[in-house]
Amino acid sequence: MAFSRWLRVNSEHYLTVAAQARVARRHGVTGPAAARGAKAFFWLRIFVPVYRLLPWKLRHAVMRSMPGSHRRQWTYPDRPAGPAI
Amino acid sequence: MSRRTVVIGGGSAGTGAAGGVKAVDKANEVTVYTDFEDIAYSPCGIPFVHGKEIDSFQTLFLATKEDYVRVGIDIHYNTTVTSIDVPNHTVEVEGEGTVPWDTLVIATGFKYADPGVPGADLDGLYYVKNIRAAERWDARLDGVKQAVVVEASPLGVEMITALAHRGIETHVVDPNPWALGEQADPDIVAPVEQAWRDMGVHLHFNTRLEAFLGSGTVTGVRTSAGDLPAELVVVATHKRPETTLAKAAGVKIGTTGGIVVGEDLSTSIPGVYAAGDCIEVVQGSTSIPLQGLTGSHAYAQGKVAGSNAGGGSRKYQPVYVPWGMLAATQMVGGVSFGETLAESLGIPHILGVADGISRARYYPGVTKIRVKLLADPATHRLIGAQMVGGEGIKERADFLAMAVRVGITIEDLATMENVYSPAIGALNEPISLAAQNALARLQAK
Repeated sequence: MAFSRWLRVNSEHYLTVAAQARVARRHGVTGPAAARGAKAFFWLRIFVPVYRLLPWKLRHAVMRSMPGSHRRQWTYPDRPAGPAI
Repeated sequence: MSRRTVVIGGGSAGTGAAGGVKAVDKANEVTVYTDFEDIAYSPCGIPFVHGKEIDSFQTLFLATKEDYVRVGIDIHYNTTVTSIDVPNHTVEVEGEGTVPWDTLVIATGFKYADPGVPGADLDGLYYVKNIRAAERWDARLDGVKQAVVVEASPLGVEMITALAHRGIETHVVDPNPWALGEQADPDIVAPVEQAWRDMGVHLHFNTRLEAFLGSGTVTGVRTSAGDLPAELVVVATHKRPETTLAKAAGVKIGTTGGIVVGEDLSTSIPGVYAAGDCIEVVQGSTSIPLQGLTGSHAYAQGKVAGSNAGGGSRKYQPVYVPWGMLAATQMVGGVSFGETLAESLGIPHILGVADGISRARYYPGVTKIRVKLLADPATHRLIGAQMVGGEGIKERADFLAMAVRVGITIEDLATMENVYSPAIGALNEPISLAAQNALARLQAK
């Protein structure tokens, strides 16, 4: 598996687990089960906290630097201002 | 000058592509290869036939094989393309040999994520996809007393409801803490889970599947919380893009596992296009690629890819992903981001939530609706929404997707006009109430 794919698969999963825990606490419901093992420890105890410390602009820039469809041309249509008539 | 296009895959994207090729120039030749016996049916309707809401699989067919012959679309059923030869512009087809193309559309769809546990080769494991297989499974369901659904994913949600409707004792095994755990928020799915419990469904969240049990035929599942008996298991794991052929041909694959495409749905190889569940497209608010959308997305993508393969010049726009479904007695839906997804990515956002009603409170059939809106804190532009209620979710999801797309703010929504007519709409629109609540929270800070 390419590094960028590996990074996305794992970061997506563990960021989701961490977010589920926070949102569950906020809503007073049961969150995800505790994850065990070295892999979970790295992603949840090291990667996620570091990720959350970084400003959104930096995280976003890193995501957009990965290979993918977003690096190809995609046009956002112009929206004319003012009344239609 | 007319072209010869080969389309690999006969699902929504593949049939859309075939039509797109012909729409550009009737003289274009198009050949579709599908592994299945049929084309032009709605697999999305399968759970509702199983649940007896729809009385026959035949009604899921949208066109006949003869319709495609009449318009000059050549479809080869039960036929597998085994490889793509890019330098020679050919494909190898089982039973047919080498077939040339001027342009190619890859519409190979998805495969279910492998549960990765022992027993995956037992009989009795149902992966919902093909209508003829669904007919056989439906007959089998008549004799099933206990079933397990692995994961309350979007398909899983519909199958849970379908099995419960049939009076089958249904157990849900899901490693997430709530239903639709990868896309929905817990307060949004709570009414769904309660409705399932009222229907007699047994929910086992935070529970991992460890094995399928049985000898020859499945008799149960082993989970992290113990064993559950089952005469049938619906495996509704995450849908992964099917890109085996594309990868082998050297087509670039993105971080989602889907084929990398541009706005014209061309791949990294000139003359080769792709559409549907096998590709990744761009989410409009963040420009981050994503994969695995709905049948309507796949069909629209197919039209664009096919049109361009046939000599046209269409563009596909970044997506904002309105979604929705019937889940138990509730409708759930949303647009782009919910609270959990925004939190996971760390996208800054403000929230506004409101509980409203779908019609005048005195009108029969009135139901509750919960609307949750997310907006950017700096611009107040809407970035996402989630909703649950008895009715009116799909229309609101469609509207809010367009709202995100054109940059509507929570101020716009807080002051929106709405239809008030007792039978079809309430005085206070829940979307507007949620936006007003978001503004009130901002002002209170």
